[in-house]
Amino acid sequence: MTGLRTPPDASPDPATPPDDDFAEPGAAAAAPARAPGVRLGVLGWLRWGWRQLTSMRTALILLFLLAAGSIPGSLLPQEGTNPAAVSQYYASHPALARILGGLSLFNVFGAPWFAAIYLLLLASLVGCVLPRTVRMVGSARQPPPRAPARLSRLPFAVSYTTTLEPEAALRAAAAVLSAKRFRLRSGAGWVSAEKGYLREAGNLLFHIALLGCLVSIGMGGLFGYKADRLLVTGTSFANTVTALDEFHPGRLVSPGDLQPFTVALDHFSASYVTSGPLLGQPAAFKAAVRYSAAPGGPTRPYTLTVNHPLVVDGVRVFLIGHGYAPVFRVTDGTGHVVFDGAVPFIPVETSGLTSEGAIKVPDADPQQLGFIGVFLPSAVDVGGQLESRFPAPLNPVVSLVSYAGNLNMNSGPSQSVYTLDTAGLHRLPIAPQPLTVGRSMRLPGGLGTLTYTGYQQWVSLAITYDPGQLPALVSGVAVLAGLLLSFFVRRRRVFVRARAAESGGTVVEVGGLTRTDAAGGFEDEFSGLAAEISARHAGSPGVDHDPPPHGE
Amino acid sequence: MSRLPSTMRRAAVGASLAAALALGAAACGGATAQDTAVGNGSSFVSGSYGTTVFGQGSRPQAPQVTGTMLNGGRFRLTTDRGAVVVMNFWGSWCTPCREEAPVLGALARHFSGPGVRFIGVDIRDDPASAAAFMRDFRIGYPSLNDPNDAIALDFSATVPPAGIPTTLVIDRSGRIAARIIGPVSYDGLKALITQVSAERP
Amino acid sequence: MPVNTGLAGVSNDFLLTAVVIYALAMLAFACDFAFGKKPVKAAAVRAPALVGAGAAGPDSGVAADGGAGAAGGEDARTALSAPGGGARTAGLRGAGRWVAIAVALTSAGLALHVTGVVLRGLSAHRLPWGDMYEFVTALTCVAVAFFLAAMIRYRAYYLGLFVMVAVVLVLGLAETVIYTPAGPLVPALQSYWLAIHVTAMTLATGVFFVAAVTGIAYLFVDRHARRVAAGLPTGSDGILRRLPGPAALDRLAYRTVVFGFPIWTFGVMAGAIWADKAWGSYWSWDPTETWAFITWVVYACFLHARATAGWRGRRAALIQLTGFGCLLFNVLVVSLVIPGLHSYAGLT
Repeated sequence: MTGLRTPPDASPDPATPPDDDFAEPGAAAAAPARAPGVRLGVLGWLRWGWRQLTSMRTALILLFLLAAGSIPGSLLPQEGTNPAAVSQYYASHPALARILGGLSLFNVFGAPWFAAIYLLLLASLVGCVLPRTVRMVGSARQPPPRAPARLSRLPFAVSYTTTLEPEAALRAAAAVLSAKRFRLRSGAGWVSAEKGYLREAGNLLFHIALLGCLVSIGMGGLFGYKADRLLVTGTSFANTVTALDEFHPGRLVSPGDLQPFTVALDHFSASYVTSGPLLGQPAAFKAAVRYSAAPGGPTRPYTLTVNHPLVVDGVRVFLIGHGYAPVFRVTDGTGHVVFDGAVPFIPVETSGLTSEGAIKVPDADPQQLGFIGVFLPSAVDVGGQLESRFPAPLNPVVSLVSYAGNLNMNSGPSQSVYTLDTAGLHRLPIAPQPLTVGRSMRLPGGLGTLTYTGYQQWVSLAITYDPGQLPALVSGVAVLAGLLLSFFVRRRRVFVRARAAESGGTVVEVGGLTRTDAAGGFEDEFSGLAAEISARHAGSPGVDHDPPPHGE
Repeated sequence: MSRLPSTMRRAAVGASLAAALALGAAACGGATAQDTAVGNGSSFVSGSYGTTVFGQGSRPQAPQVTGTMLNGGRFRLTTDRGAVVVMNFWGSWCTPCREEAPVLGALARHFSGPGVRFIGVDIRDDPASAAAFMRDFRIGYPSLNDPNDAIALDFSATVPPAGIPTTLVIDRSGRIAARIIGPVSYDGLKALITQVSAERP
Repeated sequence: MPVNTGLAGVSNDFLLTAVVIYALAMLAFACDFAFGKKPVKAAAVRAPALVGAGAAGPDSGVAADGGAGAAGGEDARTALSAPGGGARTAGLRGAGRWVAIAVALTSAGLALHVTGVVLRGLSAHRLPWGDMYEFVTALTCVAVAFFLAAMIRYRAYYLGLFVMVAVVLVLGLAETVIYTPAGPLVPALQSYWLAIHVTAMTLATGVFFVAAVTGIAYLFVDRHARRVAAGLPTGSDGILRRLPGPAALDRLAYRTVVFGFPIWTFGVMAGAIWADKAWGSYWSWDPTETWAFITWVVYACFLHARATAGWRGRRAALIQLTGFGCLLFNVLVVSLVIPGLHSYAGLT
């Protein structure tokens, strides 16, 4: 990677000739070569800009910015996941919220500046890694460098004398090294050996795979989509925009791209812990569904559980949550039945699954009707108050507050189906009474009657399609493989020199050097090698030498 | 690092960052589909409404839509070949649908002849609420009950209803001439129907 | 299957006893600092600098009797010294009686700790890292085990006091403040990927825990060494003088992070796989996911800074500690305070 400084205290090392991976390409070449006083043309500026972008320092800064930029995305409520909390933030801190919203801090991961950092990082990685890959492939067959003249300057060095001839000593050393799969190169009076080329390959694999991860995430963001749907037992839905409660398409997804499957919920069962300190905690959920991949296609059954999604046509349908939908029938003042269906109520606590919801009857005559209330699956009287003590429907009771007037549904912004806008409504003078199944509530003023006819269960489903999922998995595995290779494979060089000594015999010097020995251990390897080479030399008759000093 | 003076370097870095920001903004801007809110009473992909009109040469063929009407009768789209069909996807719980309902009712009364047929497709509603809606807004034309989204699914391959309310105008040859996403306006839809009715098949 | 509350109670007893024994080990390490014999200065034990491994401090593993030892300039005879210079010993016995007692106590405590964790798992019929309490007991177990291994490999006895202090504090907190009774997992957590993901994160956190302790020790030692080199008064530095030089601590911290980083990477990936199976999306910028990513980036910056830019010393240690800070923030603040998909801590 360009633009990298060598460590300031690394002396020019004879064992690391220039243009060698052991010494990172110096930054001396980073400045555009020009005579002083000559202005850079546009091309020159672009080249300079590209080199800055693809320098490792820039890549690291961008990576750090990506991480730093995601901090507000994790601390502030985000529109994509929690829009209600965002509105609440606006309500409670209006001025601050406006500033934050202007900086896209409520939608960090869709913000232009976040995308800019991500795109720049992508470009930087590509520009960094590809040339280096090409270079590595080109140098894959390169032999090790010549042995330096003075091996004693290397960080690991041993020297001793032996009675073998220099050539024989070198041959013996080469045999030992090549048996350990070092790549060898010989010269006059020296042998040079190198091993651990996989480290660079691992390093590049890691960075390329990182690139792959970024690209996969990008692909998912462009072509994938996520959607939610709440489905009441006994009903079905098809994967179309009109049928989805929430639809978060990728940038390039249009409604016609949705896979046309249909899912019907036949039955849902939940089991809970029935005793002990964790009473009421859910133990298992099961949703029996039927699905078909295309209209008119065959229908298949499936049991949907948490962590076991339904996979249909490349799309996955997950069971996320569940709740209750009490069924109501409302008759208005003129005697017509104006509402007859299940109304999903949303759980507000987990130990008893107390749920809240709203019933809107906008076409009741003479006045529109609205109700908000609670559903208690296992209602128990606790000191005059009703509470739900267990999440299963052992004693399902509904208690509603009644309103009449203008629901504000005939014009204006869309409302949530779970909350009532009481601004145009007046509360009816009827006390909220707990209704058991089958009971009715007669509204005063001849406005009508509400009957609680029963209850259903509902499941919430998450529908996701991500074409980048498999590439991301493959890239992730490659990231890990590259990381392990680059950490635990040492690129190391061992040199042996043998020359005739003045006093007879041969002086053998063995030296070794390693680059970024992250996991440690080269010292042990070197001492083992040196010991083996000297033992091979000592195996010849008439040797007289000092054994190399052993480390502690 | 380069030996350019640091002020120039800073300026250059700033310029490149700005360029990247612009690129990012361009990538994110445009017709972004805003997310709908949870349980939103319109199932709208807001920000994407508008009218799409297809020229006579490039109209997709409408699918074979069949279904049960709320009053019990059977419906088949192909039997209306020869008339202009205005198909409106709605729900009684949907605020923009309620907003446009008087417009649709009035237009249906205006185009009461045999050349134009209005039909509604009721989404995620119970029959009682749907009937009450039609009574309330005095909607004279029938609606299909689509509890399984089959009809919406039929259109997904051609011109899908991208939210409700959506109104499709189908010409006399059974091809989709226009799609309006969002509440219709009286003048806009009237002009569209008039134009499509006046075409020679 | 119902929870075996009797077994869960026994598990608690084992863990509480482990805390007590760790506290005793901590005292023994402290006694070593106070009363233990001075480290043996073995012959020719200078570790010459590795190429590119510029020593940040004025020493590189010389005997711990002041930081201003001579470095370099000596001949390059192979001094195949093990890294982790300071307390030059020839083995456990040479390290002194107090260290031997402390290590024995630590090992005994670890045995009890492991038993306690295993019993908890048996009582709930599942792997014992399903909620915050279990996660903390498991990660401290890993930290102690890793520390023992580091002691054997790198002879890093000097870390004992610091690691034990931290472990006793954290485990004590777990037993008292964040204890939750054993129980089955909520359905969202019933997946074998849970085992893989949380196991990996627990392991990595334990390892990074040791690295952070080493980093803090490094900062103190480095500051001390610099004050000594500048001739400034250093105050009471009994403990500090017995620790190895800054470079050795720096190297140990680096090697520890190198060990933990792939585990953390794998843990994040396993978590993504689990999220994909449970919630439909392998990366949804859930706050805990985001902070795990931030932690990963900071440690990656640390590794880059050390390995390629040659940043040694304080800057590197601070980056490493920032990374651990992000990790702590993730575990303590994000999963407990900020709502998201990860809120399963079992605390309400």
